[in-house]
Amino acid sequence: MRRRVINKGDTQLGVTWAWGSRTIGTALLLLGSLHAGASAVQDASDNKSCLRCHQMATLAYRDPTSGEIVDLSVDPNALSHSTHGELACSDCHAADYEQYPHPDRLKDEALACVGCHEEQDDAQERRYRFETIDKEFKHSVHVTSDAPEAADFGCHSCHDPHAFRNSEVGEDIAQIVRDDNAICMSCHEELNDPYRDPHLWLPKREKHREAVRCLDCHTPVSESGQPVSHQILAGEDSNRDCVQCHSKAPQLLNRLYQYRSETDLANKGWLSKAVFNEAYVVGMSRSPLIDRAALAIIAITLLGLGAHGYGRYRAYRRSKEDQT
Amino acid sequence: MTALQNLLSTPTRRRIFTAAMALLALTLAYKLLYPIVFDAYVGKTNAQLTYESSKPLTNAQFEALAEDITRDARYRKAAAIVEADQDAFARKVKIEMLMGTDSVVRDAEPSHIKYFRDAGIRRYEGPETCLTCHARIKVDHPDGTTSTVNTLDDIVNSVHFKFQSDSGGFSTYGYDGRQVNSGPHKIPVGKIDRACGIPGSFTWTGWAALVEAEPEHAANGETQLRSEGCGQCHIGGNYQPATEKMMPIGDVPSEAKEGIDCLICHSTDYDMNQRVVIRDEHGLRWDQDRSLRAALTVGPIRSENCLRCHQHNMGGDAYQHNAAAQATGYKHQRILHRGAKRGNPFAPQDDVHAAAGLQCTDCHQPEGHKIPRGRKGVDLVANDLPDKEVSCESCHSRAPHNSSEHKALLNGHIERLACETCHIAELQPDNVVLRDWVHPTWNPEEGIWEPTDVYRSGAPGKGFTFLWFNGNGTFLANALGNNPMGSDAYNPLMQQIARIDNPDVIAAVRAKAEELKERYPDIDVDRYVEMATNPLSQLPPELLAKREAMIQANLRAAMNDGDSRLYPFKLFNAMMYEDMTNQGPFGAMILPFDYTTYYETGDTKAAVVKALQDPIVKRMYQEPFKLYMMDEFMAYFGITDGWKTIYPVVDDKLVNVEPHWMRQMGTLMINHGIQRQGRDCSDCHSPNGIMDFAMLGYTPERVAELQDIDVVERVAASDAGPGTTSKE
Repeated sequence: MRRRVINKGDTQLGVTWAWGSRTIGTALLLLGSLHAGASAVQDASDNKSCLRCHQMATLAYRDPTSGEIVDLSVDPNALSHSTHGELACSDCHAADYEQYPHPDRLKDEALACVGCHEEQDDAQERRYRFETIDKEFKHSVHVTSDAPEAADFGCHSCHDPHAFRNSEVGEDIAQIVRDDNAICMSCHEELNDPYRDPHLWLPKREKHREAVRCLDCHTPVSESGQPVSHQILAGEDSNRDCVQCHSKAPQLLNRLYQYRSETDLANKGWLSKAVFNEAYVVGMSRSPLIDRAALAIIAITLLGLGAHGYGRYRAYRRSKEDQT
Repeated sequence: MTALQNLLSTPTRRRIFTAAMALLALTLAYKLLYPIVFDAYVGKTNAQLTYESSKPLTNAQFEALAEDITRDARYRKAAAIVEADQDAFARKVKIEMLMGTDSVVRDAEPSHIKYFRDAGIRRYEGPETCLTCHARIKVDHPDGTTSTVNTLDDIVNSVHFKFQSDSGGFSTYGYDGRQVNSGPHKIPVGKIDRACGIPGSFTWTGWAALVEAEPEHAANGETQLRSEGCGQCHIGGNYQPATEKMMPIGDVPSEAKEGIDCLICHSTDYDMNQRVVIRDEHGLRWDQDRSLRAALTVGPIRSENCLRCHQHNMGGDAYQHNAAAQATGYKHQRILHRGAKRGNPFAPQDDVHAAAGLQCTDCHQPEGHKIPRGRKGVDLVANDLPDKEVSCESCHSRAPHNSSEHKALLNGHIERLACETCHIAELQPDNVVLRDWVHPTWNPEEGIWEPTDVYRSGAPGKGFTFLWFNGNGTFLANALGNNPMGSDAYNPLMQQIARIDNPDVIAAVRAKAEELKERYPDIDVDRYVEMATNPLSQLPPELLAKREAMIQANLRAAMNDGDSRLYPFKLFNAMMYEDMTNQGPFGAMILPFDYTTYYETGDTKAAVVKALQDPIVKRMYQEPFKLYMMDEFMAYFGITDGWKTIYPVVDDKLVNVEPHWMRQMGTLMINHGIQRQGRDCSDCHSPNGIMDFAMLGYTPERVAELQDIDVVERVAASDAGPGTTSKE
């Protein structure tokens, strides 16, 4: 496994991101100043001076200790479309960053998600609270693992704070799957190794990879309507039961298809949803090939019936002509 | 007889027999008749080749040569063994003893000495000798696979031999907007069929020439024969380039293949003094070193081997570390070219990679005899492996700066700047920018007429400039790209490379024009300066308007393609005679010079007439050639109504031929001569920096920001501590 490095480092240019149990509640730098709407106008100009350098796509350096390339670039487009798009850089980062070269004392700056998000006014009403995320995350294999690659694992290892945003209903499912899995694959390079991939047991690996998120199998089953848990499971604890997805009521798949069901509903109306997702055998297998074969059989049957009816009709006409 | 009757007994059998005979006749005609007819058509010669340096040795001579070749290496080895030994004389005796021992000899001997000794080879006879063992070679491919290929076919079909390619995969765009050779009608393109203002000739007309020079230091009236021509470097062909390979059918005759010079690339001890023009009963051709010494010292390819030819186009002939330019011949010495083609040498003294001991093939990793040039290029020189990467990033990653405090900021620049932009500070000062072939200058030392280099410079903004480049180029070697912010403001074909604004350059051109006027009183100095520095002034208004429209309509897509970065490009323009019947908005067909006439008499028009009388140039002005390639060639060239076959010589006089500068400067990529120390921030980020940001398509606000030196000052202030000047 290769460790993914996102805006993480320990020189004067880097921002040390910290996470979870050790730092929750202790790393609340500047988080009180969160009043996104009011500062939106000011943000643009604030961010401009930061982005003057940080928008360089190749702003990066090689960490002298690890040898890894530490990426310091922020894509302005992704940032403005991200969950944090309305914030000014200085809402999260120390104002002293305005100076270049950035002062050395800033290099230990630590930022965490949970503290900030739990302080927000609507934190209590949220369906899925950051407290819950934190609890789940503490049991995640990325935290409990002793592997050296997982040593500094934190929120930002997966959620790039400058680009992250939630998937929304209506987005292309395939794209959601691709984007999601790309995050996992950026560390888990062994999955691309045809001999070391731990999914060798899985039939149609490539198809699964295109159609299902890693998370769909590697998290515990959560209650219906709840988002995917942040408790990532180790390989041996993960779902290996085909029926969890390939069945009439696919528990695991429903989480991913919360996007699709509604998309389908919106696009095709209730009839097709009723036909394909719930009631009828075609579509239940989720194999387009079998679906098509089944439809073909139905079509052939109908054609046969039609031909038979037509034959009977012709015979009837002939007998009538004979009579006259 | 009965057998034949039997064979023809039924109509079916008769038909089969006739068909078989026809097939046989066609094959024989193709094999035997076609080469003769083709040679006659293009007026070229092929004949059995002999080389004076290919001499048989006796066994005793062979052993003496082996001993001689290994003497230095054996001495070093033996001396190292007895280094700490007592008295000087005792040491000498021991060294002599050791030098003769089997183990020392074995270690010091190039491998081919043993091979030749065991195989009884006592004479090097060219490819025939090499192929005795190397008839087939293993080729490594980047995906880890290997294949075995016929060695002779591999080299004969490489660009090093053919000099052209008709494969697609060029990143070159015609001014008509089509990517060259991406369609069904493919034409051979490469140096073989392109006139160029740097050498001033075609390979067909300038392959091998003997020039009678009259150097002033020679005794009264005594002349010297000097060698000149494209063939001095290009291994293809002997009396001419491998023209046969340009045709859809046919192959180079085996005599010509036997002329391939394997050793110039593969031998470590090749004598460049043998590489001169010689005359035999069939004509002029290039000699080569076929000595057994060169053959016995065959070894792995090192940079020195490549640089025998390639330092000529990098550092230049006048570059002081160009080894080949120190060995110009025992007789018929090669004429050295003073103005450098690129002026970016690959040598330990001037290139950080050469100094680090890197070999050419470390970056240009060959596949058999095909050698990659990288994916990016503007000069339309054929490329054997157009998809194979040769780039800085493949070794240096995308975060190459490690020692500077500002390493992240320096790395940040890579998105927009090529490494070469900062790490090639200057080119060699003899880098030629403007070359006038029409008004030659007498070189008394050499005793020949030379084209006048009106302007040479290696300085940024003068000898080279910075252009957006995405890997695409035009048919006349102009870099294509666009400011990533995307706008039509960046238009180098109407601006940067179509005019010279720098007052220093203009003043230098004027001074040279005034100097030329002393010899050529017809020169109108003002007009001369205008034409050289504003070549678009030579275009009539309707062509100028058409040019602007064609750039917008045909080239914008190729400019906006992919990711552009700023690269340094060497600039070049030449005044040559042009066939004005075939003129378009981007230039007219330039006409070649006959070297001998040019160098000996300085009569430029006579030199053009002579070159145009070459049979293959006459063929170029005939219908078959027009249909086969010239119409397509012209379309890429921006001439929409085809190639006009009006031969521009009537009664030995040029008709509708005028001297002109090319309508825009050619831009050549520069990638060598890399220095460890990059540029300073303020070289670019200041109001008078080396980059014209406005011309590069930035908005006025962005230009102001880019020229703003506040950041630079802060960076400089933070660098101001003692001993912190390193910027790499």
